[in-house]
Amino acid sequence: MNKKDTILLDHGAGGKVSHAMFSELILPLFDNELLAKQNDGAVFEVPPGRMAFSTDSYTVDPLFFPGGDIGELAVNGTVNDVAMCGAIPLYISVGLIIEEGMQVVDLKRILQSMARAAQKADVRIVTGDTKVVPRGKVDKIFINTSGIGSIPTGVHVSGDGAQPGDKVIVSGTIADHGVTILSEREGLKFDSDVKSDSAPLNHMVKGMLESGYPVHVLRDPTRGGLGTTLNEIAGQSTVGIRLFEDRLPVRGPVRGICELLGFDPLYLANEGKLIAIVPGADADNVLDIIRRDAFGKDAVIIGEVTEQDPGRVVLETFIGGTRIVEMLTGEQLPRIC
Amino acid sequence: MNLTYNQVFKDPEISKALVARIREKNTRPLRLMEVCGTHTMAIFRYGIRSVLPETITLLSGPGCPVCVIAQKDIDAYVMLARRPDVILTTFGDLMKVPGSVSSLAGEKAKGADVRMVYSIFDALAIAKENPDKAVVFCAVGFETTIPTIAGAVLTAQTQGIDNFSIYSANKLTPPALAALMKTAGVEIDGFILPGHVAVITGLDAFYPIFEKYRIPSVVTGFEPMDILNAVLKLVEQNESKIPRLVNAYPRAVADAGNPKARAIMDQVFETADALWRGIGHIPDSGMVLRESFYKFDAAKKFELSMPDTREPAGCDCGRILMGLKRPDQCRLYKKNCTPMHPVGPCMVSSEGACAAFYKYSG
Repeated sequence: MNKKDTILLDHGAGGKVSHAMFSELILPLFDNELLAKQNDGAVFEVPPGRMAFSTDSYTVDPLFFPGGDIGELAVNGTVNDVAMCGAIPLYISVGLIIEEGMQVVDLKRILQSMARAAQKADVRIVTGDTKVVPRGKVDKIFINTSGIGSIPTGVHVSGDGAQPGDKVIVSGTIADHGVTILSEREGLKFDSDVKSDSAPLNHMVKGMLESGYPVHVLRDPTRGGLGTTLNEIAGQSTVGIRLFEDRLPVRGPVRGICELLGFDPLYLANEGKLIAIVPGADADNVLDIIRRDAFGKDAVIIGEVTEQDPGRVVLETFIGGTRIVEMLTGEQLPRIC
Repeated sequence: MNLTYNQVFKDPEISKALVARIREKNTRPLRLMEVCGTHTMAIFRYGIRSVLPETITLLSGPGCPVCVIAQKDIDAYVMLARRPDVILTTFGDLMKVPGSVSSLAGEKAKGADVRMVYSIFDALAIAKENPDKAVVFCAVGFETTIPTIAGAVLTAQTQGIDNFSIYSANKLTPPALAALMKTAGVEIDGFILPGHVAVITGLDAFYPIFEKYRIPSVVTGFEPMDILNAVLKLVEQNESKIPRLVNAYPRAVADAGNPKARAIMDQVFETADALWRGIGHIPDSGMVLRESFYKFDAAKKFELSMPDTREPAGCDCGRILMGLKRPDQCRLYKKNCTPMHPVGPCMVSSEGACAAFYKYSG
């Protein structure tokens, strides 16, 4: 395929043009023997024990942003969702829905980025599908990925596992992705170095699970941010969660942009951060393990699980006051003044 | 711009010392009103109510532009959005405010061209890019926002961007305070006055009301220390029974304000009666375009067939804005009216008293 080409409806019609796109563009990038067999699905051996299976669709606008792009997001997002089940992600499927007229050079850039992300996360893209729809029916490209992974024996990670006395760890600074996308989408020119935190977290999770320390809950606070995810956990586990505002890691420029626009970093998306809830006695050791990972250097303990206020997240503010952190109810809207 | 500058004003030690002083000095029940929506939000966000003595009640006043917008203005925006020849541009928090028949978000979902902007100058750019469409900006703001709107209108005039217009629901703060003080049943022991508004108006704009009613009044900023400092000053004035009008935000507010911004405002706009939600008509509290700028006035340009204005039944936004009721004393609160399904505008804007109460008090 020529770099200057644009994607036509023919590319998704299943005929010669479709095949050419698969064999010339997709297969060389996602290179692996399971995909090369070109069957209707991938066939593979599974390790004994339990499996985790997750799916997510990616519709981000803009496609390319500081710190990543839709392709990297689509791989990391599903890798992370599988990892948050306490699993080692193994195989990924990719469904591409492309708008007619998309530039091949853009598509290639996205696919290359997916291949790189898969390699980094050590997962294989083994099956997929491509559809091309008429102009205006999707916004350039939508990507669905599903992932499957194996859960090591003895691991039981679940949103209902938080217990009073547990500590809440976040693996790094919050709201980086959300602020980056908002700034890019609205064409806001800030003289700052904010960028998306898109990253695979499966190696970090593997390190935690292999250490043998019990991990009660793992979640990646993506859409809705830390505030929403912690509310989900508090509800599922019927416990209270108490956060300390002065411990929440937020980069200076991210905090500044949030203040300017009236956004709360607690509700902005992250794409490379996890929340780990672990017994209080093990928290420092687990924190050390997370910090050893390339994407966990800024990890901190931000709060604790309590018996009081079941189902609620309570924040102790900078000045020693308290407030409830509610679940995000809709899109945050920029304010007038 | 140093984006971390404001951290200085969140200092926990100084904040705690201020709280201790407030507790030490305060001996009587006080009802203090923060006029501005941004103050309301900061108060909830930093948990300021939870650190103050129980004797101090903070009331949210009529200073959130979305909360005081009249139903008929929302209806006009909806009608404008429905016109196929119009691109309607608006700040984000107006999107979900329910009018009599629909909201802007509702119209957008049905296919209307409604665009969220961060600045009126974005709306001007949209007008330049779409010469065959009429681009209307929903001008909703106080003194903080009005000079920029005036600047945009002047730019449109200079550059001949004739397909641009605004529909003004702009309002002024001091007349609202005056109206509030005249309302029966309103009891206020002190005003936390809006810092951003005062940047433009200066302290001077608040003197006439202060002289008339002698209510302790402090202009302040939006960080926890600013707000606690204002509360302390109001407590001290109430204890000493010597009311004063104080500028506790000198890093941003000059006593005379910003005369240049006010001059632009006056060049483009003139005062007019305005309808405030739940409060009613307040003389000279609105700002409409002067006659020489009528070609940028959407209210003059378009003939809109307006629906019968229906204020939501049972909604207490008006009484809440005057400090006569707390959000949880409204019978719709949390039952029919939630941030997901707001009935009144105080539940829509993130700075609305009801939304802040809902979000931060659980």
